[in-house]
Amino acid sequence: MVDLKKLRESTEKIINRDDVKYVIGWEKGTHGFQVTPLFITSSDDVERLIFNPLCVHNLTVFLMLQEKLPLRKGAEEDKRKVGVIVKGCDSRAIVQIIQEKGLNRDDVVIIGIPCTGVIDPKKINKKFPNQTKTVDIDEDANNFVIKIDGKTHKVPKEELLMDKCKQCQFPNPIIYDVLVGSEIKTTGKPNYKDVESFEKKSLKEKWEYWEKQFEKCIRCYACRNVCPMCYCKECMVDQLNPQWIRRSVNVSENTAWNIMRAFHLAGRCIDCGECERVCPAEIPLVKLNKKLEKEVLELFDYRAGLDVDVKPLLSMFKPDDPEEFIL
Amino acid sequence: MAKEFEPNIIGFLCNWCSYAGADLAGTSRIKYPPNIKSIRVMCSGRVDTVFILEALRKGADGVLIAGCHPGDCHYQSGNYKTNRRIRLLKKFLNDMGVEPERVRFEYVSASEGQKFAQVVTDFVNQLKKLGPTPLKEIA
Ligand code: SF4
Ligand code: SF4
Ligand code: SF4
Ligand code: FES
Repeated sequence: MVDLKKLRESTEKIINRDDVKYVIGWEKGTHGFQVTPLFITSSDDVERLIFNPLCVHNLTVFLMLQEKLPLRKGAEEDKRKVGVIVKGCDSRAIVQIIQEKGLNRDDVVIIGIPCTGVIDPKKINKKFPNQTKTVDIDEDANNFVIKIDGKTHKVPKEELLMDKCKQCQFPNPIIYDVLVGSEIKTTGKPNYKDVESFEKKSLKEKWEYWEKQFEKCIRCYACRNVCPMCYCKECMVDQLNPQWIRRSVNVSENTAWNIMRAFHLAGRCIDCGECERVCPAEIPLVKLNKKLEKEVLELFDYRAGLDVDVKPLLSMFKPDDPEEFIL
Repeated sequence: MAKEFEPNIIGFLCNWCSYAGADLAGTSRIKYPPNIKSIRVMCSGRVDTVFILEALRKGADGVLIAGCHPGDCHYQSGNYKTNRRIRLLKKFLNDMGVEPERVRFEYVSASEGQKFAQVVTDFVNQLKKLGPTPLKEIA
């Protein structure tokens, strides 16, 4: 795990710079295993900063949610940079957004943390339900060490890790200004086992499977709001004229929404798993994203968020792209 | 006797080639099934995937997108990009449980009236086998 003292030192250095507005990190939540995003605006806030295996949030979403209020007459725009702390997977979102020209590299200061994996909130809350007091968590090489009411529990990492972390290929941030801690060796390979077993279903079975899933969707759009890649000024689902997707919550509109959401992230989703984490209906959104990721890899040999100099998948082409014509 | 299923097709035709191709099919009196409703777009690249989905949901059983041949796009690369997008969309529809054959991308030039008629005939026959789309909106 990362040395918290070092992390705070690096953050303090950055927030004390004149050209930095705030730094986004994590702090302790109010109860149980909760951890919440922290906006550090001065060096006084730094002592609240933490990093532990509960820090699941991909904070890069806040880079795209910056509020830009209308300026008073004669006032100048605040052009200071925003700092953000990222894990390996989170950093890919920044790479991808820069690729898409949604963000200027010079407008962010990135503090990278080589990551050893984070805990799935759903799994830990199931194992230790109804925690009211905040819980401290530590880790050794193979276990999470959880202290509840003076009692120490050692739980094997396998049991609590987010699924994405078990097959993580990029634990080290791809892009950063400061790296806290040293790089981690990884053996992670892209793993599409889940997706592959799904592929074996017949068309009808697939349709029925997704229909059952999308039936549950309550159209809260949490999946969109938490996604760092969903930063359109106006989302197509909010558009009124033409209205592509009706407001009514029924399986047909829900399906349309979920198809379009997933497709908009084709070749862009960086597999942070945030959408699935926040979905109150427990729809397996990562499976959907992963499926598309695999298609993109197979068709175009392309992966999102790895290189700022590559062009986005759907805004470029190669003359020898696969085609399928009958005539 | 039950009436045979007549599929609805929405065609997004590029102004510079396929739309003229369809016109040529008409003026040369080449016969093709009347199931297609054509919409003229300035380039096949204009066809957003949301258009395709909307067509399928509003009652189309198939969607044809036709554009200029590779290298001939009026805007250089619209058709190449569309090819990528449609390839991926078809794969994705298949993953969702929708027959990918419902979406078709073809190159039809302004002089290919015959090809246009052939594509439409072919498509109609294919869709007759598939039947109505599962994506159709619940009213
Ligand atoms: S978070 Fe889940 S329930 Fe909410 S809109 Fe997304 S898929 Fe639907
Ligand atoms: S779609 Fe989900 S997994 Fe992909 S980038 Fe967005 S939040 Fe992350
Ligand atoms: S769902 Fe599509 S339109 Fe909406 S914010 Fe995401 S990418 Fe943009
Ligand atoms: S102008 Fe015909 S496909 Fe672009």
